[in-house]
Order: sequence, then structure tokens, then C-alpha cells
Amino acid sequence: MQAPRQTVEQSVIAIVEDLTQDWGLETDHIDGSTLLVDQLDFASVDIIQLCVALEQFYGRKLGFPELLLVDGRYVNDLSIAQIAAFVESRIELDGRAGR
Amino acid sequence: MTTRTLFIGMDGATFTVLDDLTAGAEPVMPFLAKIFREGTRAKLRSTPNPLTPPAWVSLMTGRSPGHHGVFDFIRTEERGDDVFFTLYDSRDCRVETIWSIASRQGMRVAALNFPFTAPPPPDLNGFMVPGFVPWRHLRRNCVPKGLYDQLKAIPDFNPKELAWDFEQEKQALDELSDEDRENWVRYHLPREMQWFRIADYLLREEAPELMAVMFDGVDKLQHQAWLYIDPRQQNGERSEYHQRMRALCMDYFRQLDGFIERLVTAAGPDVQVFMASDHGFTATWEIVRINAYLHEKGYLHWLDAPKTDATKRREDSMFAYLDWEKTVAYCGTPSSNGITIRVAREPGQSGVRPEDYEALRQRLIADLREFRDPNSGERIVTEIHLREDVFPGAAMQDAPDLLLVLRDFGFVSIKNKTPAVEARPCIAGTHHPDGVFLAYGPGIARGSILDRRNIVDVGATLLHSVGLPVPSDFEGRVPEELFTAAHRAAHPVEIGPPTRQQRADENAEAISDDEKDKIMAQLQMLGYVE
Repeated sequence: MQAPRQTVEQSVIAIVEDLTQDWGLETDHIDGSTLLVDQLDFASVDIIQLCVALEQFYGRKLGFPELLLVDGRYVNDLSIAQIAAFVESRIELDGRAGR
Repeated sequence: MTTRTLFIGMDGATFTVLDDLTAGAEPVMPFLAKIFREGTRAKLRSTPNPLTPPAWVSLMTGRSPGHHGVFDFIRTEERGDDVFFTLYDSRDCRVETIWSIASRQGMRVAALNFPFTAPPPPDLNGFMVPGFVPWRHLRRNCVPKGLYDQLKAIPDFNPKELAWDFEQEKQALDELSDEDRENWVRYHLPREMQWFRIADYLLREEAPELMAVMFDGVDKLQHQAWLYIDPRQQNGERSEYHQRMRALCMDYFRQLDGFIERLVTAAGPDVQVFMASDHGFTATWEIVRINAYLHEKGYLHWLDAPKTDATKRREDSMFAYLDWEKTVAYCGTPSSNGITIRVAREPGQSGVRPEDYEALRQRLIADLREFRDPNSGERIVTEIHLREDVFPGAAMQDAPDLLLVLRDFGFVSIKNKTPAVEARPCIAGTHHPDGVFLAYGPGIARGSILDRRNIVDVGATLLHSVGLPVPSDFEGRVPEELFTAAHRAAHPVEIGPPTRQQRADENAEAISDDEKDKIMAQLQMLGYVE
């Protein structure tokens, strides 16, 4: 399945908007540059929940530890675009592996 | 649509307490006293490790942990020379729940506040609001879509009161002060009210055939306030604080009794009512630092890390931060009460060689048998179970190699502290293997006390009550003697086709240090951490 970056990014934005709709955030616009922790007040538990939501949406495990862990340490923040790029790469990888 | 069966779960409820609260001319729980008189009761044996995750999942699946695969809050996962901790969720359960079994046979269900039901199953016919979910994520984890907005229309609905508040619980990393303990008890009064309101709303508006709600404040109060709840601790002179805490706890149970009465009344006289707990409760009086003992015996090596704030935080939270290359046996989480033996999967990897596993396990058992009270000589670990004996099934490989039962039924500590065993400053609540099972309503025998049943029987009983066959691969059996002879004749227990296979996810996400801290705060609050 082809998953153009823009489509994946739009899906990630839609899921994040759905996830955060009751949080009372002051941010009224989410795009690729939006940072989860800095701008959307994500805590680690929220990132885990987002990972689960994305995996449910795509119907597969996406191996998020590879995105969250860099050199053995958890990243401090992630942008929507970074997540979309990672998801896209995983989908492409799965596609090549015939999954 | 009419509700046929109402199930009320009470996490950690025990007859030791409930018998006291239902006794006398003016009992604290008068409606429960009526259920005791007019219904049937039995002790309910929990899972081998009487702990919320495996026990509730067994209750919901009719299967033991070796089959359903949920052993603890957190799973330890070995990858090469490192050990990762991952959170269990509903996707780790390898077998069908009664919610799915009933759904696919056309029954509408409602399941409120049950642990490990998030993320909810896609095939649910009815309503699910999972437990153990922070308020920010309730919307996404509620089914059907739109339920959350329905709930928001309930007067005084407050998701922040309803869900687990990790931030509040994080404050409990230090030992609880009297004031914090009192606030902790107060915190659960409105919380249970929120769950009651949802249950009451769904029962009245939707009347699902199988209606189920779980109140978990019983467990939480008993962990933190056992001294004020246990009837055996109420003799002699008591401080003003003790009396105030006792009164506050009684307010909680009085309120719970009112919720039970209102739900049973709303369900109507034709509904069979069942109540159960995932385990019982008792007092723990000592701290058993099992990893310190394993260190003494040479099985475990602490990580020798520089003294930074981060390492101090890790040592304080004690999430089994060990020198994995030198450690061959360890306890990963305090709630597991289990010991995992590290086996080298490939030549050159750390851990014991596969051919040496059994010899090491036998040596470990012998050493654990010799873990004794330095004063009395009494054994600290009274039971040592092999995993193949207590966790047989397809998921057994995920279980700890040994399951320990301590002499006071307490949970172990995994902190790097000595001595390995010492008395607690004051007693605390801990889990007992015997919980409660109650039945009440039409077709239920009156005033009957059955022999002890097993927690896997509850799921079978609920399916039978709602009019469905019990799947042939259920380990649980319907205790037929809890029904009247006439009811048994009219409604014989049917055994039906086996459950459907669930997909096991083997790649749950590794969790961050921050997340581990939050979970540890929760476990500490619940009394699993010293």
C-alpha cells in the first residue's frame, strides 16, 4: 500500500486532534511542525496512547521504540512531521517485505 | 432489550471486612447484608499470584494466566544482554473475553472500569469504558464511538474524577503522610460516584443484557488504610486520627452499599445479580527485599552507576535496574512475587546456559527455602511454585520461573536495601488469595454458603446467567448449586463451541523512564512497593 507523506501526515494530525480535543489546549492549529510535548502538552503516557492509536489506525505494529529511543535514550520531543515520516517508512518497509 | 444479568465487581473485597460491615442491627452496608441473607456466597480463590491484572483477566476470560498471558502490570522482556519493561494492555490477552463472546452471539454488554480492556475490542456489541486509563484518553478508549459525548451529558460527569489521576499518584513517591492518606481516601468517594452514575445511566437508558461495573476503591482504600478497616485492628485505645480515618472509610463503604442497592433496584426484580472480587485482603507486617537476598546469595548484581539525580531516582523507584550481564536470577517487579532466571539464548550471551537451568533453579529453590526469620528461624517464603505447575498453558514462557508466597502474603520489595527482611513500621493491607463471590435474585438459592470456588468460574457463570453456553475450552465451571433446583431444571448448563483464537501481540511498546516512574508511583500507592 502506498502511503504518501501528506496522507500519512493528515492521518496523524486527525488522530492527534481527536486525541486532544478535550484537553483544553490553547493551540488551535496543528500541522507538521507542531511539537507534541512543547506545544500540545503531551506527557509520556500520552505518547504511548498516540502510538497505540496509530497502530490501531494502520492495523499493525509500527515498532515505535525505534522512533522514541535514540542512542538508548528517549527523545525529548517529536513533531507531527517526524512521526508521519516514521510511520511512512514503516509502511513502506512492510510493503517491501510483503506484509 | 432487557437486562438479564448484573455483575458488580469490587476490587479486593474480602469477607473479613464485609462480614463486619454487614453485621449488627445497624450495619454499615445494610443492602449487602440483605444479599448475604437472601442470596448465595462463596469464597473465591484468586489466580496463583492474587493480583489485579491476572485475576480480573481470568475472571473476564474463564481462563488461567498461563492461557490468557497477563501475569502482572508490567512484563519483563529479555532482548540480548538487556531487559526491557513493557506495559500490558488488552492486546496482550491471548483469549476471548466474555464481553466478546457475548457480543458475537448477539448479546449487548456494558463493561465499565475493568482493567486491561483498553484498547477496547473492535467487535464489541454494547458499551465499554475501560479502567486504568488516564482521563485524557477516555474518549478514544470508549466504545461505541460517541459514547463519551453521551457520558458528558450525564449531570456532574467529570472525567478527571472518574479516571486514574497519575499526577496525584506520582506525589506518593514519598511515604504517605497522615494528611495524604486521608486525602487518598477522600479522593475515592467522588470517583466511585462517577462510575456509579455511568452504570446507572447505561442500565436505565440502554438496559444491556449483560451489565457489569467494577468499583476499585475497595482495593485502594484497603492498601492504604487497612489499619482503619480491618475489624481485628479496632480494639483498644484509638487515636483521634484513627477514629477519623475509620469514619471516613466507613463513609466509603456506606456509599458503595448505596450504589449496589440502587443498581440492583434499577436492574429490576427479574435480574440475576452477581458480585465478585479479584482477590481478598489481609495484613502484611514485614518487608521482604527479595533482590537483596538474591544478591546475598550471588544470583543478582546491582548496577554500579554514577550517583546522579537520574540514578538516584531509579534506585528510589527500583525498577530492577541491575547489572544484567552478571545477574542470573532476579525479581523484576514487586507485584510479580516471581523470580525470573536469565537463560543465555545464544552462546556468548549473559545468563545461565540452557543445560544448567534446572540445576540453578533447584539451587535457587533450596536457597529460598533457607530464607528465614533471623529471630524465630521461621521460613519467610512459605510456598515456592514452579511456573509449569501454576501457569501451564501457551503463555507460560512469559511467566516468572518461580512464584513465591510470603508468610504474610505480602508483596516483595525489589529495592537495594538491607536487611533482606525487617518489620514494617505499621501494618499495611495486602492481597489474600481468597476473594468473594455472591449471587442474588430470581433462581438463586437463598442463604446458601458454597465451598470455595475459583475465579475462572465467574465468567462461566455470567455467560450461563445471560443465557449463553459456556465455551468448551473454558477452565471455569458454573457452580450449579448456587441456583435453585427449579432454576437448574429450567436452565441446564450448556457447554458450547470453544472460544475464538485471539491474536497475541508480542511487540508491546517499551516504556519510558518517566512512564515507569508513574507506574511505580501507582504501585507504591497500592502498597506493592515499600
